[in-house]
Amino acid sequence: MRIATANETYLADEALLRTRTQWAWLGLFALVLVAAPFVLNNYWLYLACLVAINVASATGLNILTGYTGLVSLGQGAFMAVGAYTVAWLSQKTGMPFLVNILAGGLVAAFVGILVGIPSLRVKGLYLAIATIGASIILQFVFLNWSSVTGGARGLAVRPANFFGTSLTTYFQLYWAFVPITVLMVVGAANLFRTRIGRAFIAIRDRDISAEVLGIPLLRYKLMSFAVSSFYAGVAGGMWAYFFRAVGPESFTIVESIFFLAAIIVGGMGSILGGIVGATFMTLVPEILRFGVELASPYVSNAGALLSPIRTIAFGALIMLFLVFEPQGIAEIIQRVRRFFHLWPFKT
Amino acid sequence: MKSGITKRIFMALAASSALFAAQPAFAQGDDEIVIGGSIPLTGVFAFAGVAIEAGIQDYLKIVNEEGGIDGRQVRLAYEDTGYQVDQSVAVFNKLTSQNPNIRLYYGDSTGFSRTINPELERRGDIMMAGASFATEINDPENFSNQFIAGPDYTEMYSILLEYIAQETPGAKLVFVNSDTEFGRDPIESSTARAQELGLEVVEQIITPPGAVDVSTEVLKLRRAQPDYTIFHGYVLAPLPEFMTQAKQLGLETKFMGTFWSMDSSLWADVGDAADGFMGVMPYRYYYDEEEAPMLERIRQMRPDYQATGYMQGFLTAMLMTESVKRTLEAGEELTADNMKKALNSIEDFDTGGIVGVPISVPGNTVPVGRIYQYDAAEQRMEAVSDWINVQE
Amino acid sequence: MSDFLFFLEVSLAGLGSGALLSLTALAFVLIYKATRVINLAVSEILMMGGYFFFALAAGMSLSPWVALPLAIAGGGLIGAIVERGVIRRMLGESAISVFMVTVGLGSVLVGLVEFVWGTNPRTLPDFTGTAPVFIGQLYISRKIAIAFVVASLVIAIFLLLFRYWRGGVALRATATDQAAAYSCGINVPGVFSAAWIIGCATAAGAGILLGAIGGISPVMGAFGLSALVVVIVGGLDSVMGALVAGLLIGLVEAWAGTYLGGEYKLVSTFIILIVMLMVRPYGLFGTTEIERL
Repeated sequence: MRIATANETYLADEALLRTRTQWAWLGLFALVLVAAPFVLNNYWLYLACLVAINVASATGLNILTGYTGLVSLGQGAFMAVGAYTVAWLSQKTGMPFLVNILAGGLVAAFVGILVGIPSLRVKGLYLAIATIGASIILQFVFLNWSSVTGGARGLAVRPANFFGTSLTTYFQLYWAFVPITVLMVVGAANLFRTRIGRAFIAIRDRDISAEVLGIPLLRYKLMSFAVSSFYAGVAGGMWAYFFRAVGPESFTIVESIFFLAAIIVGGMGSILGGIVGATFMTLVPEILRFGVELASPYVSNAGALLSPIRTIAFGALIMLFLVFEPQGIAEIIQRVRRFFHLWPFKT
Repeated sequence: MKSGITKRIFMALAASSALFAAQPAFAQGDDEIVIGGSIPLTGVFAFAGVAIEAGIQDYLKIVNEEGGIDGRQVRLAYEDTGYQVDQSVAVFNKLTSQNPNIRLYYGDSTGFSRTINPELERRGDIMMAGASFATEINDPENFSNQFIAGPDYTEMYSILLEYIAQETPGAKLVFVNSDTEFGRDPIESSTARAQELGLEVVEQIITPPGAVDVSTEVLKLRRAQPDYTIFHGYVLAPLPEFMTQAKQLGLETKFMGTFWSMDSSLWADVGDAADGFMGVMPYRYYYDEEEAPMLERIRQMRPDYQATGYMQGFLTAMLMTESVKRTLEAGEELTADNMKKALNSIEDFDTGGIVGVPISVPGNTVPVGRIYQYDAAEQRMEAVSDWINVQE
Repeated sequence: MSDFLFFLEVSLAGLGSGALLSLTALAFVLIYKATRVINLAVSEILMMGGYFFFALAAGMSLSPWVALPLAIAGGGLIGAIVERGVIRRMLGESAISVFMVTVGLGSVLVGLVEFVWGTNPRTLPDFTGTAPVFIGQLYISRKIAIAFVVASLVIAIFLLLFRYWRGGVALRATATDQAAAYSCGINVPGVFSAAWIIGCATAAGAGILLGAIGGISPVMGAFGLSALVVVIVGGLDSVMGALVAGLLIGLVEAWAGTYLGGEYKLVSTFIILIVMLMVRPYGLFGTTEIERL
């Protein structure tokens, strides 16, 4: 049962976290994040880092698709831009990794603005297809601009340099990635308390009304693309330090579909949705891996069935969520919350 | 409401601790030696992965039956990767977390070999080989903990080119490569090599990945009128269509490929169009009739034809276990450096006929190979050259 | 051989593979016209067509001429199941949601193929013959020539059907205004189903032709990406557009591949796509109805 939500100031009303329960949950979550690297083994740490990277990128896409209503299948390509930038900078300069990652984000944001230009002309499906086109053109650039991108071979990435120490183990990288991702997610959550974020939402809900309200569509749509690709670029930068090799085959259209699927499954237009969706979609293949392992004594050749099962599960999750739970996991969480808020009145 | 909050916190704590409780605990013998493997049992490279796994397992069985290495059993711990780099890395992390005894590793792609290399250098306790023959890996300086159980792609081209230079001096060549990392690997180095051997590369055709319709490429080929056409970066498609159309046009050119296109069961479905396809093969075929005790043994263990990947896996396992054996004999610890040193000490080593000549591992590769040609009537690859060594 | 002859031959080859693109694009167009859904799973249904044919002709060793219509019908069956089972439920949802459903469907189909047939590439039993085709001095690959003839015939039949056949007119009426069509007594849900069945059957047919040329594998759906360019350039709801743009894109691919290099094939067509979206988003022949901003 939830009572006493009356606020005395506007500030309190606008606050991100309004109840003590929320604070408690958040504190607990923070505790788990801090404790996790001391408990997890290398494999789960690896997955935790991957989740952090994917959450950052999915949150970015959520800003563009979930909040501004512009569908993009180019998130993977923007990540690639960030990854290549970081790889290049790590080879050519000795700058600290935070600077490189920031640069990766900025370059990706710039490319994002370029790719966003068709959004002036088209929207919806046509825009989605335009972003597919843009990814393919970027892919071509990565493959053929050999002097910068290393061509088909790609680039090797020097280990992340943090005040003289190189971050190489997953334990070290976890401490680098998780704070960055937390910062970005909090930033995104706060974005929608500002004029810019609310303008995005207005554009999503009805672009013409938004324009009438005095929101310049051109500027805000491009801004949304820029912010979203900045997130992708930073995520790509982390990815580069994570895998330490970037090539033209690292980010394909499948990657872009993955992120769109992640926010669909998690819940579009919800920060929590981006986090949960990216986490869920990253971990599902691994959960299936354990499922197949359990089944292997009973099914012959179970190992070879894993990958088809994963492909099917990936597609089926997208379909099932769209058909039965279009608001995603975030909506399920809300439903659970509502249950507790209304308990014991509603039984 | 206070108690409600604490109760909720407690529940959340319980839930989250359950999440981390799933720590795998595996009990194993301490003296076991484990070969880890990121192996593609599915995906575009599945045909090779399945065979590779069988090859490694069979050789380990032979080793273990003879008492293992210095009394220690060898085991392969592997998982499917679907031929995706991120999955290969995930499998690597999972296996190395679960099996602290992994000293050797089998990787499935160039992308993986490159991606995992910094981690291998950092760990320093694992020596790796894999399904990639990328020229890049043949670099003992930067890829100090890896090796290739055969010639790299550039060396494969060298073997082909030496054969061509012998058969048809001054021949005209066309390189056909897929627009992938795999396909583009040896183009530059091999164009230079061809010139050294007095051969002329008259045209380079790049095909988009996954291309099926090659009619424009065939027209280019007709215009170039080469004596030899060398494919690289493909497994099968679109080679059959290329060869069919070239035959329709009456082209005289001979078609050649590199190791991964050389499996005879792949070509069996293609039929007559496949007749005369040549390529470089670093190992013997399952059905080769020349004297080879190890092939005999394989045929006893497996009555059916085993693909080329099988031989690759078999030889890889052989070189790996031989390195471990030599390291242990020298009384040294099983670090990557020591195992690599032991590997490089392998000279004029008898493989029991898996390779037709005694082999050495001077650097990161075994630079020998032989030209085989497909006979569609027999559904077999027949040797058309001697073993060619391109060691510098 | 003179450069001009070479150019002509390259162009012919381009037209031939363009016809195959047209046929695939036709599947997109039929479905979009009736239901306003961009069905990205067309690429995977194309692949299913190839595998059905493979299963019937190679697996059960039926004659190719029996297997051919059965495989095409199999494609239609998938269309019917998907339309009734999933797409109908999504009626009224945003176009993007439905689009993503088809993306998910594509992934499921690829997984199923890998599950049932494995991931190794396969070769289809030959049913096209091998004797080369020459027009005067000009050579065309036989399979490409067959693809061209089949695609042009099919598209011609569809154009005629839309003009004269009741069902075709019903589809056009539905495309123009669903409510008006419904009040005129047209069975609009029936038209939806029919469009999906025919569209998917067409895709399956294209898949068999494609498989005959290059073999089949779970990744052959990548071909659909070029077909997507074709439908955008031609206009999402125009059968004529699919034909013209298919041939056009085929030519561009052939020229780019020959004179620039194979790596330029895909990128050149996608540059055309972006330019087209900027200049004329509804395509060459499509209905002008895009909301402009």
